[in-house]
Amino acid sequence: MNRMKTRLKARLVVILCLVASLLYPLFELNEYRIYLMNIGLINCIVASGIVFVTGFAGQISFGQAAFYAIGAYSSAILTKTYKVPLSIGMAIGALISLLLGLALSIPSFKLRAFFLSLVTIGFGQIVHMILINWRSVTGGSYGFFGIPPMKIGGHIFSYGDYYLILLLTLMFVIFVMYKIRYSYIGKCMLAINDDEIAASTCGVNVKKLKMFAFAFSAVVASIAGSIYAHMSGFLTPEPFSFFQSSNFVAMAVIGGLRSILGGLIGGMVLTILPELLRLGKYRGWENYYLIVTSLIVIAIVVRMPKGLSQIPHVLLRRARRNVS
Amino acid sequence: MQMKDLIQNLVSGASVGCTYGLMGLGVVFLWQSIRRINFANITPSMVAAYVFYILYSRLGLSFVPSLLGTISVVVVYGLGLRFLIYEEIKKHSGGRLEFVVATLMLCTLFLNLMIVFFGSLPRPFPPVFGKPTDFVSLFGVSISVVYVYIFAIVAILVGFLYFFLNKTLVGKCLKAFAQNEEAAILMGVNVNLMRSISFVLSAVVVGIAGILLAPIYFVSLELGGGTIGVKGFASAVLAGLVNPYGAILGGICIGLIENFSAMFISSTYKDVFAFLILITVLLVKPSGIFVGKLQRRTEEAG
Repeated sequence: MNRMKTRLKARLVVILCLVASLLYPLFELNEYRIYLMNIGLINCIVASGIVFVTGFAGQISFGQAAFYAIGAYSSAILTKTYKVPLSIGMAIGALISLLLGLALSIPSFKLRAFFLSLVTIGFGQIVHMILINWRSVTGGSYGFFGIPPMKIGGHIFSYGDYYLILLLTLMFVIFVMYKIRYSYIGKCMLAINDDEIAASTCGVNVKKLKMFAFAFSAVVASIAGSIYAHMSGFLTPEPFSFFQSSNFVAMAVIGGLRSILGGLIGGMVLTILPELLRLGKYRGWENYYLIVTSLIVIAIVVRMPKGLSQIPHVLLRRARRNVS
Repeated sequence: MQMKDLIQNLVSGASVGCTYGLMGLGVVFLWQSIRRINFANITPSMVAAYVFYILYSRLGLSFVPSLLGTISVVVVYGLGLRFLIYEEIKKHSGGRLEFVVATLMLCTLFLNLMIVFFGSLPRPFPPVFGKPTDFVSLFGVSISVVYVYIFAIVAILVGFLYFFLNKTLVGKCLKAFAQNEEAAILMGVNVNLMRSISFVLSAVVVGIAGILLAPIYFVSLELGGGTIGVKGFASAVLAGLVNPYGAILGGICIGLIENFSAMFISSTYKDVFAFLILITVLLVKPSGIFVGKLQRRTEEAG
């Protein structure tokens, strides 16, 4: 009886949070803050993909910014240069990422941990360099301008509309992850994460699951990238570098790799924290906000290897211990 | 294509490759000691270049004191990495991935520190290894003095390392520790000390590589950035992460391939080739190419 009550309460809290986050753009008049939230949501989506591939399936990927870039650039180029409808542009971007994600999962059959991460870093760098050097198509480091925004009917999307789209995408991604996590597939993935050989002797199809995990995270990152391209209207290769990839991984890790909400928490924290430090009322912090951010991330990673999403659990456990 | 260009490319590729090799050496030392990969492996080279620049150009010290000062800063960095990051993560039962992320963030932290204190403009490196415009004539081909210096210093360093690892007791202990930690403990090796030594060695070697690269890349953020770092990893991977001399050879290979692909195929995509080689080696022969017969990797990188 008691347990049912707590579960009901938890559901109520979740629903309240959802409603509050859906209504947020109605009450927020500051355009910049909504834009910031949008960037945060994009980061959350990509980081959730990393939680899926690294936290659940145990495969390190430092190439996520590459998929993000592929989604952004292919959608942008198709809609602007070739006048393809926006949804098809996004779908083709996602398809390219899907295929490349499948290709990137092939090295993971043979390589583990560090070696795999090197392959993914190499992949990310190659994509980044192609973006810089293939001037005729991507515009090189001058950037790619004039990407058409999203619209329904004649209504061009405002930042508030993008917010809703991104929020729904994120919710969908998290819902899918939740369903997979507690299904047969999710359990097999965790088994791979714990011990690959043992999992394969128990009849888990390791290769198939790894391919699935890579493809899923690639598609998720690609969709986030497409929305980013249409929202910002112009692209430069700068935000798709290796450091962005490592930032995504950092988000997933400080959020909590084994937690479904890890990507959400990490993405939001790492987007908002630098801005708070930058725009905060403390004088003289403007120059140092990046330093402080990386210091805080190091501290979190070092002191709390399970991520920020563990805080409620730890607090609960402590509270229980105090009661009993 | 002239013979002269060919030889010039050969020399410059091989000598820049030597410094990549030194960075690979840093990776190898740390891998041997803690079976972890330090993604901030490249950071000491940037730190060393900037510290040397301050000591030599700003404070006006002469070469030897500035070098010693730089090395001591890098030693402190190495010990800091061990006690503030590695040991702390271990204490809080964090795993491999936490170390990776922490070191990556360390890399960004130092990049940001340098941006804040020095700005992002590259600084000229003091001409301690001759001016970049000085040339020596070798078999009728003029070669920049900087490259000759790099070769000489790397050769001395490798000779010293050979002596250290094979002829001194500490070096032998270090090798024993790398091969089998538990057996080394049983033989009375001070494992704690050995671990510190390998952190310090790794940082110092990479720091020296930074000082050697600075005349070519200037004292810039590029020395702490991703591209050179990945080349260091690539040379370590070619050595299967175990063979210190293989790392130098691997670095030379990468330097040569990079230069010749720039010469014959395309200079804009020269870095792409380095990465392609890295990926190919990893896929085809992940145990490395320049590995001695006895030095097979005992443990998978899992």
